[in-house]
Amino acid sequence: MNGLFSEVFLSALLFGAVTAAVPLLLAGLGEQMSEKAGVLNIGIEGMMLAGAYLGFVGAFYSESLWLGFLTGAAGGAAVAALMALLCVRLGLNQIVIGIALTLGLEGLTALLHHFQFSRSYPRLPAADPTVIPLLADIPVIGPAFFRHHLLVYLAVLLVVVMSYLYRRTQLGLNLQAAGDKPAALDVAGIDVIRTRTIAVLTTGALAGLGGAYLANVGAGLFIPFITNGAGFLGIVLAMLARGRPVWVLFGALLFGACLSLTTAMQVAGINIPTDVIQMLPFLAVMIMLVLFGRQASLPAALGIPYERGAR
Amino acid sequence: MKIIKSIGSAFVISSLLLGSALAGEVKSIAILTPEEGTDYGWNQQGIDAAKAAGEAAGVEVVVAQGLGYGDVRPTLRELASDGASLLIAHASGYNTAAPEIAKEMNVPVAIVDTPNGLEKGLVADYTLSGHEGAYLAGRLAAKMSRSKTVGVVVSGEPPSWNSQSGAFAQGVKAENPDVKIIYAVIGPAAYSDAAGGKRVTESVIASGADIIFGQGNGSSFGMLQAVETTKAADGGKVYFIDVIGDKSPIDKGFLLSSVVWNIEPVYAAMIADIKNDTFGTKHYAIGLKDNSVELLKTPAIPDDVWSQIEALREDIVSGKIKVEPVYDATAVRALMTSVAQ
Repeated sequence: MNGLFSEVFLSALLFGAVTAAVPLLLAGLGEQMSEKAGVLNIGIEGMMLAGAYLGFVGAFYSESLWLGFLTGAAGGAAVAALMALLCVRLGLNQIVIGIALTLGLEGLTALLHHFQFSRSYPRLPAADPTVIPLLADIPVIGPAFFRHHLLVYLAVLLVVVMSYLYRRTQLGLNLQAAGDKPAALDVAGIDVIRTRTIAVLTTGALAGLGGAYLANVGAGLFIPFITNGAGFLGIVLAMLARGRPVWVLFGALLFGACLSLTTAMQVAGINIPTDVIQMLPFLAVMIMLVLFGRQASLPAALGIPYERGAR
Repeated sequence: MKIIKSIGSAFVISSLLLGSALAGEVKSIAILTPEEGTDYGWNQQGIDAAKAAGEAAGVEVVVAQGLGYGDVRPTLRELASDGASLLIAHASGYNTAAPEIAKEMNVPVAIVDTPNGLEKGLVADYTLSGHEGAYLAGRLAAKMSRSKTVGVVVSGEPPSWNSQSGAFAQGVKAENPDVKIIYAVIGPAAYSDAAGGKRVTESVIASGADIIFGQGNGSSFGMLQAVETTKAADGGKVYFIDVIGDKSPIDKGFLLSSVVWNIEPVYAAMIADIKNDTFGTKHYAIGLKDNSVELLKTPAIPDDVWSQIEALREDIVSGKIKVEPVYDATAVRALMTSVAQ
């Protein structure tokens, strides 16, 4: 391995894996909630792009990453509000609207970037890490996992919160019912449209937050098409996770680890075509699909607009 | 027999008519780019060159930019319908669609990374390579690296970039065979993956590199960000060597140099070839000799080092040093220290 695998290098690889995983985790958790409530959110890539752009704008002008995360989440939620209006309230086709939103946001954010930043390409300073005492001093593992921005730990904490929400709360049950048997939920006196709207808006906010993290911390800048398909990977993770937030976390970390592994293999000088190495992350997703995808049970009313009294 | 003669005559006449329609007259040219022409790189250099070549030839230039990496057939058809005499498809991702539209609309197209795709009057290829400049960049990097480890980060492996990566490695080895070269590809086509560019570059820096030779369109801004926010192993600065464009206007003091391309002579030659009915019959090249490839001098390069680089440039121009382009990705990887021998 030609002596390149120093402690610093291994830490950097693992650190990179976590950084790459966080946007996928947030997008995946968001998509999971939307799907639970019966809304297939193909527009999540567009929501991430909106979050990435507005998150960067917010952080750049305010010089505060947290304000950037806030504007990013708000941007994603704003796009989600449009989706909620068209798909949940008006009952339009979720796939068509989702694709249209993604394409529209790709164009809009590229256009805004062109007018605003395309001659200056501003970059943000490195994000200040939150160092976890004692744990951060463990060789290799410490710098890789315990010296991240606070949002990373909050994103992992969100997995616990989401699990609790789905298993222990009335809202969690309502979301499940909105996706499986919306008519039954309606009969029970719960507003299906409202429940689905809450889910879609939350999805947008989480996707936007993921996009903002990707731009502000992952890249430190915004360029057109920066999400590079991360939203679609979030959809895959949500579907594979079978409604369990912790599986989204594992999936996101696996994907991030595979991305870092591809770099490690190249630096190590594994003499096989780079294309083969680059297939690894996607191969991992396909293996996951084969192993677990067949058992994946999607909500019965997923993708079907709810209309009271309709048969 | 009469019928055969008639068909033959009709074929000859229609060929002549078609030929005259394709050759001779150039009223306007169009260039299609995947990203905006403000990237201080591939897209900007292409658009600027097309405008300059068009102005010099008195030809209108239509720019269709930021088209992404998807299907550009509708845009190609529209531009052809609008009367463009030449469509410059300025992305390797367009080299399937553009020849199709060339045949469909009888409009000459120029594509990249397809040297075997020439068709007289219809398809020209301009797979360019700044390998001579990249060789100089390699010599410069080897001279200036403190850690004696340099990195090559690319967002894909198209032939043009392979030849520059390979020439950079040859330059490093020629200057100092003991310098390590770490090679990493961000993804199969990660041209806009700025986050990936930053992540991979940070890893390469962590493996000891203090100079990064980066090729990446939009993702190169992620590489630049990594260089600006990550310290080398000795706690000092990491420097960045860019390609194709000049990022000096947005540099924060980390840009060491760039292998700058000037594509204007290539597009000017294409316009001339259409006029002379020789379009699609030859390959185009750029190089140090006519300054269509230049190594950028920045304040980060000491004067004595730059003098040595200038002398090497003269040696290449005079033929004393020969830099052969290596287009194949496997051959390029074999030149890197990080690849097991």
